[in-house]
Amino acid sequence: MSSPQDEPLRIQPGRVLGSPGITRRSLLRAALIGGGLTMAGIPLTYAKDAPTATLPFKRGARPLVTFPQKRPLMVMTTRPPQLETPFHVFNEHVFTPNDAFFVRWHLANIPTTIDPSAFRLHVRGHVRRPLSLSLHELRTQFEEVQLAAVCQCAGNSRGFFKPRVPGGQWGNGAMGNALWTGVRLRDILDRAGIKPGAVQVRFNGLDQPVAEGTPDFRKSLNVEDVLNDHVLVAYAMNGGSLPLLNGFPLRLVVPGWYATYWIKMLSDIEVLNSVDDGFWMTQAYRLPADPCGCVEPGEHPTRTVPIGRMPVRSFMTNVDHGATIPSGKPVVVRGIAFDQGYGIDRVLFSSDGGTHWQRAMLGHDYGDFSFRQWEARFVPVAGRTYHLQSLAINRIGESQRFSARWNPGGYLRNAVETVQVKAI
Amino acid sequence: MPGFTKQQGLLILWVGLLFLSVTPWVMAEPPRETPLSVTLPSDLMTFQPGPGREIAAGFCLICHSADYIYMQPPHSPQQWEEIVHKMQRAFGCPIPNDQIPTLVEYLVSQNAIQPASSLPRVAESSFAGTGTVEQGRQVYEAHCQSCHGSTGKGDGPVGRMLIPPAADLTATTKADRELLHIIQNGKPGTAMPAWKGTLSPGELTAVLAYIRDLARSH
Repeated sequence: MSSPQDEPLRIQPGRVLGSPGITRRSLLRAALIGGGLTMAGIPLTYAKDAPTATLPFKRGARPLVTFPQKRPLMVMTTRPPQLETPFHVFNEHVFTPNDAFFVRWHLANIPTTIDPSAFRLHVRGHVRRPLSLSLHELRTQFEEVQLAAVCQCAGNSRGFFKPRVPGGQWGNGAMGNALWTGVRLRDILDRAGIKPGAVQVRFNGLDQPVAEGTPDFRKSLNVEDVLNDHVLVAYAMNGGSLPLLNGFPLRLVVPGWYATYWIKMLSDIEVLNSVDDGFWMTQAYRLPADPCGCVEPGEHPTRTVPIGRMPVRSFMTNVDHGATIPSGKPVVVRGIAFDQGYGIDRVLFSSDGGTHWQRAMLGHDYGDFSFRQWEARFVPVAGRTYHLQSLAINRIGESQRFSARWNPGGYLRNAVETVQVKAI
Repeated sequence: MPGFTKQQGLLILWVGLLFLSVTPWVMAEPPRETPLSVTLPSDLMTFQPGPGREIAAGFCLICHSADYIYMQPPHSPQQWEEIVHKMQRAFGCPIPNDQIPTLVEYLVSQNAIQPASSLPRVAESSFAGTGTVEQGRQVYEAHCQSCHGSTGKGDGPVGRMLIPPAADLTATTKADRELLHIIQNGKPGTAMPAWKGTLSPGELTAVLAYIRDLARSH
């Protein structure tokens, strides 16, 4: 298979790091030790000298451990697994490799054995012809579609909220970009025949709660938001099968929307003739009901709505906060940008904390839902400190925010990031 | 696109060629027909000793590993209580009501915000004439100047961009203890981060001394 991971530019001198404390050496050690741990049985408490990456906020230490079909990733929690992609991976690949792709489950009762020949995808509810599709039928009876899309956890970057909020304390690595292969959800629903009066479509996976009283993890989207060309039932990412922890054998792909809707191990599609009143739609993953999706820090919103699409973001991927860079010659700053599917129009770069901006050059366009690579150059003067910033603007003119918004769920972060470096 | 110079054009062409290294369609490997089976690692962490540990181990660990507690930022006792009630009511944790107070106390003992009374006391006059101003200047230039500016007026390159803007330290009316608390813990709703994990107690008081010195020389 041809690899979708390209390496267009690799010029930047200096440290190529994501967050302070993660080094290639520690990752290498993690590969050795983490692999060893898995084989030997993992002790109840990890050793103090186990390889650890540290995110730049309090309680940010994350052991690097190898989970099945994964390279060593930053473990936020073990059960259910929540694993963060070390940030340097985003500098190395425009498509996040499957074994580095972040992992987030809500319920610990995850099937650890999946038999593809026995698996069925059920389509039922407010339809004329309920379906039970095998993987073979899915692959052979519908048109195959492929598209690049960013999958970003709704809580990505929650650890940077000030004041901090409860929830999964992610750095910026709860996201990934992949080339998804599958079939259109619309084509499946067309075969089942949606009845008039359908309002939402509810999606469920094979994962189950442990405690009897825990609500099963199910998410719903409005019918009008799924009847399009790009919502997919995917059976492959980046040319290979989905890793089990990323949803083998099927995953819903909802380009532009937060990953909470990208149901893993998708096994059940239910067309509803009323709005889903389940816990995961009415109580969780909700935003203040105003255009900002924010409230004053510490306040509680009076009205909330389900989280939806992702605001525009950009990151610098080849410079690390506090790094030193060479002076007197052009330095290339590289990064990525993405939005909810309008596509990136331009990325602006500043080396002086936002006083002056230059337009960055954009990389290959893999589609409106993909990471878009960018790069900018500047010539540092020895002895000076630089505050590097990037600002992405999408094709309808939406830009990143300069001040971080706040909400009690820790969602929607898209503030301009600042990386301080010193030229020597 | 606006016009480019010849040099810019060549650069763009060169970069464009490098970026063109990928075919947009990736052939998927043959679909997997045989069962996929994995073994997930057992919990990496366990609850630390302390009164109430058995309740945490008995109830919290039904659904999730102990790192769910330790990865949280330090929460207030009230936040921990809200979280326990949410686990019971929304997520069906079978914990009896009479065990909740002990569990909350245990969680507070494991990962809670330090009460303000435990902050080091700083005498109002402890900085005048000491040698720590120079030390404070180094800390200030490394960590504070980008926002608060070289003169302390809040007009650093980053500080000017912030909403609200960085504080004018030469105009502050706050007492030392109050100011030190903000430096240590950050200021909610602003970009001011907490420095207590980054700066040593000595550096914290030194930078406070330097800020006072800046205000005096202003």
